[in-house]
Amino acid sequence: MRILLDKFSKSFGDVRVIEDMTLEVNDGEMLALLGPSGCGKSTTLFAICGIHKVSGGRIFFGERDMTDVPSQERNVGVVFQSYALYPHMTVAENIAFPLRIRKLPEAEVKRQMEEMARLVHIEELLGRRPAELSGGQQQRVALARALVRRPNVLLLDEPLANLDAKLRLEMRSEIRRIQLETGITAILVTHDQVEAMSMCDRIAIMNAGRIIQIATPQEMYRNPRTAFVAGFLGNPPIAFLDAVARDGWLAVEDADIRLPVPPGTRTPPDGTPVVLGIRPETLGREGDAPIRGRVTFVETQGRENLYDITLANGSVLRSIQRVSDDVSLNDEVEWRVRSDQIFVFSQNGERL
Amino acid sequence: MTASRDIARDGPAPVTARAVSARGLASWLNSSKGLGLVLLAPAMVLVVLFFLVPVVVTGLIAFTNMSTATGITGGAYQVSPSALRVLTDQHGMGALAERLGQPTYTVDEQGLATLEEMGIEPGIVAGLRERHLGETYSSRREFERAIRALPERPATRTVKRISAAFSRSLANERFASAGALIAAAEAVEPDLDAAEKQALVEATYTGWTWTSENFRRLATSRDTERVFFNTLFFVATTLVLFNTGYAMVLAIATHYIPERAAGIFRIIWFLPRISPVVIYVLLWKWLAWDTGFLSALLSNFGVRPRNWMLDSATNAWVFVILINGFVGASMGMVIFASAIKAIPQSLFHAAAVDGAYRWQQIRHIILPHLKWPILFVTCYQTLSLLTSIDQTLLSTDGGPGGATEIWSLWIYHTALNNYAGNLQYGYGAAMALVLVVIGITLSLLYLRLFNYNALIIKPRIEH
Repeated sequence: MRILLDKFSKSFGDVRVIEDMTLEVNDGEMLALLGPSGCGKSTTLFAICGIHKVSGGRIFFGERDMTDVPSQERNVGVVFQSYALYPHMTVAENIAFPLRIRKLPEAEVKRQMEEMARLVHIEELLGRRPAELSGGQQQRVALARALVRRPNVLLLDEPLANLDAKLRLEMRSEIRRIQLETGITAILVTHDQVEAMSMCDRIAIMNAGRIIQIATPQEMYRNPRTAFVAGFLGNPPIAFLDAVARDGWLAVEDADIRLPVPPGTRTPPDGTPVVLGIRPETLGREGDAPIRGRVTFVETQGRENLYDITLANGSVLRSIQRVSDDVSLNDEVEWRVRSDQIFVFSQNGERL
Repeated sequence: MTASRDIARDGPAPVTARAVSARGLASWLNSSKGLGLVLLAPAMVLVVLFFLVPVVVTGLIAFTNMSTATGITGGAYQVSPSALRVLTDQHGMGALAERLGQPTYTVDEQGLATLEEMGIEPGIVAGLRERHLGETYSSRREFERAIRALPERPATRTVKRISAAFSRSLANERFASAGALIAAAEAVEPDLDAAEKQALVEATYTGWTWTSENFRRLATSRDTERVFFNTLFFVATTLVLFNTGYAMVLAIATHYIPERAAGIFRIIWFLPRISPVVIYVLLWKWLAWDTGFLSALLSNFGVRPRNWMLDSATNAWVFVILINGFVGASMGMVIFASAIKAIPQSLFHAAAVDGAYRWQQIRHIILPHLKWPILFVTCYQTLSLLTSIDQTLLSTDGGPGGATEIWSLWIYHTALNNYAGNLQYGYGAAMALVLVVIGITLSLLYLRLFNYNALIIKPRIEH
């Protein structure tokens, strides 16, 4: 079902958390609300499921205006960060709870509950209590409980935050599998760009209560609208470098670097200070513009090595390369940048 | 300085010994077991002095017939009519009792000396000594006939005075020791056997003795049944309506209203608990007196003023339960409210999006989480209501006509304060002992009922 937030605002007392936010989630789509903590992404989620009343604007599920409908009647499935499983009920009772509250016939409750348990692979755990489950198992139960009533939309609030690294990887693909299998519209709230990029069809990146950019993960990575977006996506993260426009080139004068303006970027007037964004993978042995510096940090990641190189003016760039033994700490190197892949931002972070 | 050097010079042996013992003490204190005992010692002393000893003493007194009449130290031996009745009824020695109870007349030197003091004619005294010294008469008439037969022929009034001087009855005599009693009894009844002596000593003893009579009396008394059902009614009604029921309503209501209002609301319900009992109950009495608030208010509608609290048994119960309930509700409210507060907010959110409205949230989320607090409050308040006395004592004092007499109050009235003035310590202690046994039994029952072991089991969380 299509979800539409139309000029949605939310304030707590005098604190305005979100102002005039418009967001559309397509039917069957999985959208990530990505942003640092405190940016209003969970507030948005709680407004969609009706736990928070909106201060302004409207919320539509399909064509229906849900703004003033209580959460009990919105038919949303929510997976909370803490899972919020009912500790006094067994797994089976937890999953069946939304159906029993709706007073469905007991046979029907049992059938749907078992079907859902099969979908999330927890058939053998039905008799246990949440305290007797591992984090990943609790996660699955929470998913099953959220999905069992066939909700209009599935809301996931930092669902992987409480899991260890290995389980996080496993549950990432599990949640995506279940979402695709059920074809449900889903909104994932996360501060982890890897989660957002790997699980979702589109990402809405938020900062300070506003959506900065909505795009597919790839589009957003390749074409960030602001320095904030560019800085948020990518691991290891992008490095920023202060430069000025000079004679149709972008120059870092105290580090003896001159880069051509990348295609598609309008050339700023002479003397304009700009910020260059250079991703680690665009700096390496191949490229068109030379950059000289000293290797100040080497991190071996197995398949690749991550280097920090410090330029003459003290700025630090990052480079990720195939493992090789020819570079070691404190070596002076001259590497190259693929200048067509760098981003140019104005001083206030807007992409030029 | 010199002194300490002298001690040191005494020889190395004592110094070493002292050091060793000090080290021993230190290591003993360092062990958690040793330190625990040391820290516990003051508490143990208090527990023993102010709890264990009173309980044990009560238990012991329950097996005595101590009362105001017997005193608590000891007693004397008195051949009272009731003692003779005991001798007849309980020992089957009616004949002996009759003989001991009846006056006997023995002509002895003591009696003759009394006659001389009374100023009876010396001739009569001499005649008695001469003819009848050492004789015993079992009836007054017989003795008086013998006196009249004296040569001096005393007048009838004189005869009566003479016979009175020789009356040697045991009845209403008081003896300090069993030996004195037996000696006196043998003077009247020379051939007492051992069983009779024993029975006589037991029957005439006025001090307390060991007995299980209290429990037999408690088991058969009609009052027991009445007070028992009064207590059951009082405890169950107050507990269910107020201490848990109303406390739960307050806790849940304050959970759903804004924080500030909830706080004020809770403080108001705390007032009965924190105000001094006497003042609190006095306010209720002012409310209920025939010149009090209720009567004054209702007199505007033509209702006859009356003491609403003691007007009828029903009214008395309503007031007793309200007075006790308002005090008891606050504790449950605080415990339930904090337990509700401890439920993660996300559970309420989850329940709301799962479709549960407020009432269903209470039913499915709040109440299951209150299982342990409810057990605690029920258990604690049952025991405290069973033993509660002050509010009821101050308000109705068990009235009207014993309608609100509850067990603890009954104990107080029996053993410590009653109208008749005979305080039955032993009987009261037996009642108290029964109360203690009921309390312990109930506690065990509650723990079993709420499956205590399952509640304290460690959660098995794995990661």
